[in-house]
Amino acid sequence: MSISIHKICVAVVALCLVSCAKTEEDKSGKTGGESVAVFTKNQTNPFFQTVRLGAENAAKQMNVTVTQYIPTKPDDIPEQLNQIEDAIIRRPGAVVFIPVNSKAMIPGIEKLNAAKIPVVNITDRVLGGELVSFMGCDETNLALNTARFLLQKLNGKGNVIILEGVGGSENSANRVTGFKKALSEFPNVKLLASQPANFQRVQALQVTENLLQSYPQIDGILAANDSMALGAIEALDAAKRNALVVGLNGTKEAIDAIKQGKLLASGDCDGFTHGCLGTMAAVRHLRNLPVPKEFIFNLMVIDKSNFAGMDVPYEQRMCPAWETVVKGN
Amino acid sequence: MNSQRFALSADVSSLIYRLLGVLVLGIVLALSSDAFLTVTNLLNVLRQASLIFLVASGLTLVIVTAGLDLSIGANLGLSACVTAAAIKATGSISVGIAAGLACGLFIGVLNGLLITMLKLPPFIATYGMLWMVYGINYWAMAGNTIYGFPESFRDIGSGYVLGIPIPVLLMFVCLIVGGVFTRYTTYGHELYAIGANTEVARLSGIPVRARLILVYTLSGAMAGIAGVVYLARLNSAEAGIGDPLLLPAIAAVLIGGTSLFGGVGSLTGALIGAVILTLVLNGMNLLTISGNWQPLITGVIVLLAAGIDTAARKRNEARA
Repeated sequence: MSISIHKICVAVVALCLVSCAKTEEDKSGKTGGESVAVFTKNQTNPFFQTVRLGAENAAKQMNVTVTQYIPTKPDDIPEQLNQIEDAIIRRPGAVVFIPVNSKAMIPGIEKLNAAKIPVVNITDRVLGGELVSFMGCDETNLALNTARFLLQKLNGKGNVIILEGVGGSENSANRVTGFKKALSEFPNVKLLASQPANFQRVQALQVTENLLQSYPQIDGILAANDSMALGAIEALDAAKRNALVVGLNGTKEAIDAIKQGKLLASGDCDGFTHGCLGTMAAVRHLRNLPVPKEFIFNLMVIDKSNFAGMDVPYEQRMCPAWETVVKGN
Repeated sequence: MNSQRFALSADVSSLIYRLLGVLVLGIVLALSSDAFLTVTNLLNVLRQASLIFLVASGLTLVIVTAGLDLSIGANLGLSACVTAAAIKATGSISVGIAAGLACGLFIGVLNGLLITMLKLPPFIATYGMLWMVYGINYWAMAGNTIYGFPESFRDIGSGYVLGIPIPVLLMFVCLIVGGVFTRYTTYGHELYAIGANTEVARLSGIPVRARLILVYTLSGAMAGIAGVVYLARLNSAEAGIGDPLLLPAIAAVLIGGTSLFGGVGSLTGALIGAVILTLVLNGMNLLTISGNWQPLITGVIVLLAAGIDTAARKRNEARA
């Protein structure tokens, strides 16, 4: 079944690209009509949906076409490698790439290099291959700033727990490192437990329920993503307990929870802008405009004082102009 | 001469043997954590186990007929999302629940038809269904979540009646109804007969097709019910919420002594399996075992639990 869906997708993509190729010929010499292939990690995490929307928005602004490649099995390494091979056959002008795994995707990038298709790497770093640019955020700092915000609200004392993401994923490891770094700045805060909940809401709910049993006093919960933070809040509510909770990613649901006063804050790296700037960088490279070799996005800790600007449906958001974000280029 | 007495005691003692794994695990945990043996923690464990049990119960019936239903996780996800969307669209909780259950049931019927009419092997039919249901759900949800439901709906997942969590009550209702169905009705006996030998069952006049459609429908309906309970518990629906549940549900059924070859199995077994899997996570959290070790420990305990069960049953059969 997966194969047949796959084939249909490829057929659709092929049709689209055939028509793109035509417009490119028509407009030869002028800018516009280039094609960009955008690779994201899964269809389940809302963050990547915002990346894709950002890419679509930038593409519209710059008059290029975008093809999305998303593994049907979330974060599947072989599937993303296959999709790279499919993309090479379709020959997009450039690729905007988020690896499902930082190391395992190096051979994929090398294949794109061999096919002379330029690659802009966004969000999570690929640890090899030739890249036009890396544009992402510093996950460790993101977690550090967000945890610091919570620990300050606790006046530097109390008991906290950490909800980790998927064991062995670089993403989770960096975020947990950031949390622990912040904790080291507050010697009077005690880390009771750091337990994995695999970035999933159900598991975070159950792990928090379990930890609430063994610790009569939990003052703060540091969750490595928003879904887990919201799962933890459900567990707190059901047990009629109170604790300050922070998450990461700044999803719409998290912003609503901040509005309702349930979630203290969410550290955000703004996937929408990743999609925008990544696509813009790819197109700029094709149009011989300068692109920085590396760009780190600003971090933002969203809380009830500043959520208003973020509380706009992504469908209505517009990509910022390149120059306002990437200065000095 | 003594066979009557032995048969009776074998029945009771087999249950005790079955519980051995749970008891050993429980004693170890009680000794190592003060928080374990408290009423709230035990109810907490049962509530977590009930989420696995609800899907595992339908699956048990399927596996008893020597079938398999791989679509339960995806079905749960879609049913939860359908319920969520219907509540948001109509504002009515009962319409939402009805829509979710209908969704689960419908997927089950389709599975049953694919297997009986097209004669597809259950693994392939339900694997294909898994991808179709995923596909529809991922496409419809497009990475979004539907969240924020009325308190009265959320009570299904997090409320209590007489101090017992509602999902746990649902679990026991399902256990009792299902237990009576499998043990004391002709329908139930026919399922075991089909699993033991489909051809013999057919020749002895059991309407095999109709019964198979029935079990896949029940399995789908249970996934639908679990979807509603999940949604109520999480207060939020996203396309992937059922994904992590498929293997634990299958594991719960098999740890509980149900055979993949059919003809053998019980809902109490599935309950025991679900409780063992839940105890592992509960215990690791209570003892704050590092995430680096958790997968390894889970594996070892699952093997030990299954090992104790197999050894106990062998002994029991030898004695009987």
